[in-house]
Amino acid sequence: MGRWGRFLAALTGAATVAAVAVTAAMGGHSATPGVTAKQITIGGTFPLTGIASLYKTIPTAENAYFQYVNDHGGVNGRKINFLIRDDSYDPTKTVPLATQLVEQDHVFAIFGSLGTVPGLSTWGYLNAHKVPQVEVATGDSFWGFCAFKSCDGGKKPWTIGYQPDYPGESKLYGQYISQNFPNAKIGVLYQNDSFGKNYYAGLRIGLGARKENIVSAQSYDPSQTTPSQQVIALKAAGANILVIFALPQQTIGALVTATKIGWHPDATILSNVSANTVFLKLAAANGADVNGVISTNYVNYATTVDANTPGAKLAKAIIAKYAPSLDLNDGNVEYGLGAAWMFVYALQHAGKNPTRASLEKALHSLNVADPFLYPGIKLQTSKTDNFPVEQLIFEKWNGGATGQWQPFGKLYNHLR
Amino acid sequence: MSMRRAGAPAVAAAVAALLCVLPFLLDGYHQGIASAVGIYFVAILGLNILTGYTGQISIGHGAFMAIGGYTTVILSHDHHTNLIATLPAAAALTFVCGVAVGIPALRLSGVYLALATFALAVSVPQLPLKFSKFLGGSNGLQTDHTVSHLWLYAVSWACAALGFVLGWLLLRGRIGRAFRAVRDSELAAASSGVSLPIYKTLAFGVSAAYAGVAGSLFVLWTNGFAQPNEFEILLSLKILIGAAVAGLGSLWGVAVGAIFIGLLPQLSASVPLIGPAHGQDVVFGFVVILIMLVLPNGFAGLLWRVRAAIKTRPGTS
Repeated sequence: MGRWGRFLAALTGAATVAAVAVTAAMGGHSATPGVTAKQITIGGTFPLTGIASLYKTIPTAENAYFQYVNDHGGVNGRKINFLIRDDSYDPTKTVPLATQLVEQDHVFAIFGSLGTVPGLSTWGYLNAHKVPQVEVATGDSFWGFCAFKSCDGGKKPWTIGYQPDYPGESKLYGQYISQNFPNAKIGVLYQNDSFGKNYYAGLRIGLGARKENIVSAQSYDPSQTTPSQQVIALKAAGANILVIFALPQQTIGALVTATKIGWHPDATILSNVSANTVFLKLAAANGADVNGVISTNYVNYATTVDANTPGAKLAKAIIAKYAPSLDLNDGNVEYGLGAAWMFVYALQHAGKNPTRASLEKALHSLNVADPFLYPGIKLQTSKTDNFPVEQLIFEKWNGGATGQWQPFGKLYNHLR
Repeated sequence: MSMRRAGAPAVAAAVAALLCVLPFLLDGYHQGIASAVGIYFVAILGLNILTGYTGQISIGHGAFMAIGGYTTVILSHDHHTNLIATLPAAAALTFVCGVAVGIPALRLSGVYLALATFALAVSVPQLPLKFSKFLGGSNGLQTDHTVSHLWLYAVSWACAALGFVLGWLLLRGRIGRAFRAVRDSELAAASSGVSLPIYKTLAFGVSAAYAGVAGSLFVLWTNGFAQPNEFEILLSLKILIGAAVAGLGSLWGVAVGAIFIGLLPQLSASVPLIGPAHGQDVVFGFVVILIMLVLPNGFAGLLWRVRAAIKTRPGTS
């Protein structure tokens, strides 16, 4: 029995595996993946757990909007089925999850996936397979630029972002400082990676000749949770303007440290990814003096000054019905609603029977106001413009721990 | 012994036939998972040569995988080298790095060597942050094109097969005997004329070369994208766990170890009560404890026990 018995056993095993695999592989495929007569399936990866899980409210808000649309008849009679996957902000998890969404769940498009590095890890793959990578939740400028010019490994025309890009935003801060504080001594705190460096580079461009007013720029490693020494060094360098290009936790830590060492700069400027109302209240609760802190914004804060706009009312109604656990003070909720709105709008304009190509075309011919964005901001794209949101409003924090953002000035267009 | 000689080629042929047919039965997603298993196979094979056969513990093989992976990406990104051609380059570079690590490791053994390699696993992924112009920083680097699932499946399993045959040839002969002699007793090996420095550093180099190739393939598996987080300490631990599940000091359990760490994330995605977020860690820990209790010599140990049981049964050859 020995040799042949075992050979037979191995063959039987192989045959069993093969049979199971064939059964598993026999799934239905329609002409356009993810689109049936009744349903459109899309999917995205998000950090529901892990270091970036503060952002997990975004997919919940997006799904709330899709549910609202579905209850009102869907898009051309099709309901949107949004598959949310947790990659914990870890690219080695993003890759198999995105592959699974595309090749097993046969999604029509990857929607809203969050994070620069997770996005990069699927960028080439999705474009090679001509799968729309729609509204990546990250503000790097290459998402927009690489659709038309060749970046690493060729053009990436199937990818589009949503939010304003980081360098464009920080150029506005540079302009603002040079106009309002021409003789300032500027201290910059930035994260030592491309996120922080891109912001810092944009600031220098915006400052123009006044970039010589930067008396000190201190960087911190992303793993460092409280950059206290850096803040102390900036004060010691004599800076009277503090600019912070950091993630939420480090931003809060820096604001608290500055107050604790008795430093009250003439102006403090935050990047808008960390200027969430919830974060500012947290900083104030920990003893930071946040009055007068300046940032920019593009969403329609449903709870504050814009509370009576139709978009804010709709946001409240949708969140109350479909995602009551969410807090509208968390600007990421408005972000999620706005991003989902843009997707639905593009889908409505992608023809009665949308294809991936017709969706891309619709995404590149937007010229419409998104109700969940700050009043007046329009989504604008074209065959040569791959940046949907390119306008920002300055805002100033007013009222300490119970305060809120107060917009001021005019809407600024992004500087390229 | 005669059983093993007769059975092994048949099993190997059956496995090879299965591997040839398998991709045509799977969809792209499952081809990707099968490729990952092949990649882990190569890495575990390499670690087994060092830890299982030569008795030197390494918790730092993720570092060699990182070196291999970045070699592939840089050659492809900056010089547009054919991706296949980057594999031997990665193997050569990591071999040199392995020897370089092996030399100071001569003075360390046991837990001290484990700690030194642990430091390696922690520090190497920091290098791209330090030299971000060249190595892409935390945003990582990409190869100039991505490969299909089928391509990756074929190449990773071809590397696995080649690595397996080369490893088998290496270990069955003089070098393998020297490795095992070093593992069992350094004093006895040295007094029999086995040069400890040469064989210990050689084992490090060979093992690192396997890890380097696995790292190259790993980067191709993440769509040609190399980024420091991919090579964190967890990867090194995964490889070590895979080797423990496989059973140290034998080549036959490696596939089981590779399947274990390759499929676990998928299988543990729906662990009841704990949920997908922590399910993987819990299942990992639980299985490792279970294996150490029930199968202290891993899957290879189980094979040996089954074989011994059959042998002692009367009426079989």
